[in-house]
Amino acid sequence: MESFIINLLNGLSWGMLLFLISVGLTTVFGVLGVLNFAHGSLFMLGAYLCMQMMHFVPSFWAGLLTGPLLVAILGVVIERLLLRRIYGRDITFQLLLTFAILLVLDDAVRMIWGPGYHVVDPPTILSGVFSIFSRTYPVYRVFLVVAGPLIGLVLWSFFQLTRWGKIIRAAAVDREMAEGIGIRVPILFTAVFGLGAWLAAVGGALAAPHQSLAPSMGERIIIESFIVVVSGGMGSFPGAFVGALLLGLLESFGTVFLGRAQMAIPYILLATVLLIRPRGFFGREV
Amino acid sequence: MKTYKPAATIFSSLAALALLSACPFVLPTYWTLILTEILIMGLFAMSFNLLLGYTGLLSFGQAGFFGVGAYATALFISKGGSSLFLCLVISLAAGAAAAVVIGYFCVRRDEIYFAMITLAFGMMLYTVAHSWIELTGGSDGLPLMTLPSLRLFGMELSLYSPTNMFMIVLLVTAVCIFFLWRLVRSPFGLLLTAIRENKQRLSFVGAGVQNLRLAAFVIAGALAGISGCMFSLFNSMAAPDFLHWGFSARPVLMTILGGSGIFFGPMLGAAVFFGLEQAITNITQNWMFFLGLILTPVVIFFPKGILGTLVDYLFKKTKGKP
Amino acid sequence: MKRKRLLWLMILSVALIGFVTAAPASAARTVKVGFVYIMSGPFSAYGQFAKQGAELAVDEINSKGGIQGHKVKAYFEDSTGKPDVAIRAIRKLVYQDKVDILIGLDSSGVAKTVVPSIPQMKTPLIITHAATPDVTGSVCNPYVFRISVNLAQNVKAAALLASGTDVKTWTTIGPDYAFGHQSWEYFEKYLKPMKPGVAFLPQSEVAFPPFKTTDFSSYINKVMQSKADGVLVSLWGGNLIDFVRQARDMGFFDGKRQVLMTLGAATEVLTALGDKMPEGIWVGTRYWFLANDSAINKHFVKAYKDRFGAYPSYNAQGAYAALYTYKAAVEKAGSVNKQKVIKALSGLTVEVPVGTITIRKGDHQALTDATWGKTAADPNYPIRILKPIKIFKSTEVTPSVKDTGCKM
Repeated sequence: MESFIINLLNGLSWGMLLFLISVGLTTVFGVLGVLNFAHGSLFMLGAYLCMQMMHFVPSFWAGLLTGPLLVAILGVVIERLLLRRIYGRDITFQLLLTFAILLVLDDAVRMIWGPGYHVVDPPTILSGVFSIFSRTYPVYRVFLVVAGPLIGLVLWSFFQLTRWGKIIRAAAVDREMAEGIGIRVPILFTAVFGLGAWLAAVGGALAAPHQSLAPSMGERIIIESFIVVVSGGMGSFPGAFVGALLLGLLESFGTVFLGRAQMAIPYILLATVLLIRPRGFFGREV
Repeated sequence: MKTYKPAATIFSSLAALALLSACPFVLPTYWTLILTEILIMGLFAMSFNLLLGYTGLLSFGQAGFFGVGAYATALFISKGGSSLFLCLVISLAAGAAAAVVIGYFCVRRDEIYFAMITLAFGMMLYTVAHSWIELTGGSDGLPLMTLPSLRLFGMELSLYSPTNMFMIVLLVTAVCIFFLWRLVRSPFGLLLTAIRENKQRLSFVGAGVQNLRLAAFVIAGALAGISGCMFSLFNSMAAPDFLHWGFSARPVLMTILGGSGIFFGPMLGAAVFFGLEQAITNITQNWMFFLGLILTPVVIFFPKGILGTLVDYLFKKTKGKP
Repeated sequence: MKRKRLLWLMILSVALIGFVTAAPASAARTVKVGFVYIMSGPFSAYGQFAKQGAELAVDEINSKGGIQGHKVKAYFEDSTGKPDVAIRAIRKLVYQDKVDILIGLDSSGVAKTVVPSIPQMKTPLIITHAATPDVTGSVCNPYVFRISVNLAQNVKAAALLASGTDVKTWTTIGPDYAFGHQSWEYFEKYLKPMKPGVAFLPQSEVAFPPFKTTDFSSYINKVMQSKADGVLVSLWGGNLIDFVRQARDMGFFDGKRQVLMTLGAATEVLTALGDKMPEGIWVGTRYWFLANDSAINKHFVKAYKDRFGAYPSYNAQGAYAALYTYKAAVEKAGSVNKQKVIKALSGLTVEVPVGTITIRKGDHQALTDATWGKTAADPNYPIRILKPIKIFKSTEVTPSVKDTGCKM
């Protein structure tokens, strides 16, 4: 029983982290139509910049606030300088351009912060443990389980209830129509990519106290977030939530039941979804 | 339209072949080895481009078939096989067989969904290579303890000699490229291009779009298998890395670098890729950084790739105005 | 017009090919040493350490007149940890740079697949990191030597430690590839005859997280819920850092179980973890900078610390020691001729920072002591150090040549 609860909590907290990363990816795809290979690198930059800012102001919250903002600014620059030149091109070019950005960012991180490992401590208020029956469980993990849906809810209300959110959704459905009714789409696209980069970086900053920082952390996460986005339905907000939770739980419980095949879990999920529901759980079927 | 002149094409291909086969006798050993690798990876990229350039399908799991070919050869040799010809046939068959099964599921999907489902299956093959320790040696891979030798005119040619290895690779690659060349110019090849241009219209006229795509997928898989076979002989190893998505990204990169719209584009892309790698790693260890920097303008400003842009540049005048 | 462009293009490409193929003009006879380590990507830290150790050794040797009067010139190539890239790097060193000796290799997978190709290149290779028993076992050959502790020696020491505890049931948590699986397999093989009563959990109940794992909590949970009271941890590098931090929070180190970490005493891990590394845990390593009081080691630690500002890691020591091993072999052979050096390396005894090692003739594995110790805090050091240190004699932990399966 206690093992079940702990595995459940593990799956949920990992799933929430995946959700934070994927929601930015899926929003960018939904609006800009670009599947961003460099999203994992922005996630990594979020973690590194959070750590860097903590050297200036020794508080995790300061890092969480400022680090992702810097990444968002970088996102804006990337969109203005590079991405906007390839909208509407074949997906091969979009994947390759963002892949090139990934190569540059990953190597840049290694050049700046070195190839070694870094760790970030969780804030004191979240650093303890509490007990579940006879076992202990870190508070920070529970914080992730709670923070994920909260951020999700804020985002969801933003998209559903505010004027800006509605404009973004409108532009996602039909770019030309949105332009026709006077929405300045180019600025909107820049803003959305900045938002996506910010979300990735928030995911990175939140992951920092939980995993070691190394120049490979972006590469490790990017395929799994692709899987979440595609199986949830590309561009779908609830899809990212469900997909992330499902993958988190499958990976958590899979370690107990699947043994050697555990490595294949994400790929089996992806292939199964694409075969049965080609557009994902929440995708619009065509 | 350029007119197709068979005699000129045959002549220039033979001249190119003759020029290439002289290479190992003039170039330093190391450059012969690099050239061998370029030919192998170039063939791999050209097989990939049958899908991307001619059929309009972006596969992100092509390394799966490459790796299946590599492992087929490695297993055949570790079980005592010693015929080079059989290695090639077995790898071709293994690549094709894997592609039939996987392609059956994949060809129903388009664009990004096709890319993702091929990624999924490719990574499943990777998982098999990585985890089925008894068969594949697991993460360590399979080293080839011997190489098949070739008996020709009573001589025994060792593949351990870089020159012999280069000649064999050149021969096999040339045969495969000739096959591809005929294929894309056959009615079948034209149908593939028609799918890329307009899938719906073609299905209206009754062509079985999915069967055509499957055929292209299987041919690409078989040729990837042959490339994998040569790669495992060349390096004396088969490793799980050969099936990873990172390896699948290589033909994509090479194809876009060279130009997907041109038959020899991927081969040139492979040459540029390795040439750049050699040149840049001589100066700095941050090769990935510079690869990214070089790739960015290519993707943005030269979507036709290096060869595609060059061909446009050279033949701008001769291209008839509409 | 068209023809002119074509001509220019051809001239340009010929010039380009000339530029890239032009080999650097060779100077007077120097000893060329090729180092192959992971210099980029996730594990580039290991390559950086090795490079520092190598540079230190090269400068020291050159300032004292070189090897038999020959200046040493080092060439560094990046293996990236991928076997096909590694073999390309080795080919470049051998055919292009024409090195006299190869030193390096981090990844076991790379080592195992590359080693069978070394005899073709007729150049000796000294392995300093990769631990797979196979390179001095099933795929061994006369050209390949290893001066670092291999997996069998390290795990044998772990088994000896384990036999002294009162643990009844053992389990493991290790990376889901050959290294992790082999560590567990060898541990069981060695410990069983030493202590017949002890039990080992079956394959389905032990934990092998995939390499890309960053969240170890479900594996930690799996180990904690099992009935095992002893855990062999063969995780390393970033995986080990993540594991220790998460396991600590989940109460893994609550004293209820005996923990042996086969690669826990790596300085890069201890540096990143700082005081997050629990005290009183048995950790192993290939080299520990405080484990040897010899003059050579003291000199190495001081010179390294002065130059690079950190304590030397095992990979730094490996590259440093390899060059001195080569120097000793050349001096023994009286020549830099590759075949003579190979003969001299086989059976060579040399003192390096880790201690005095002997390269065994039968399989070319160095007989070197295995270092273990208990983690302890010390105000003089920013990281956890080992106290007490336990050295297992090479004769105790090295399997016989017959057992390695090596046939030269």
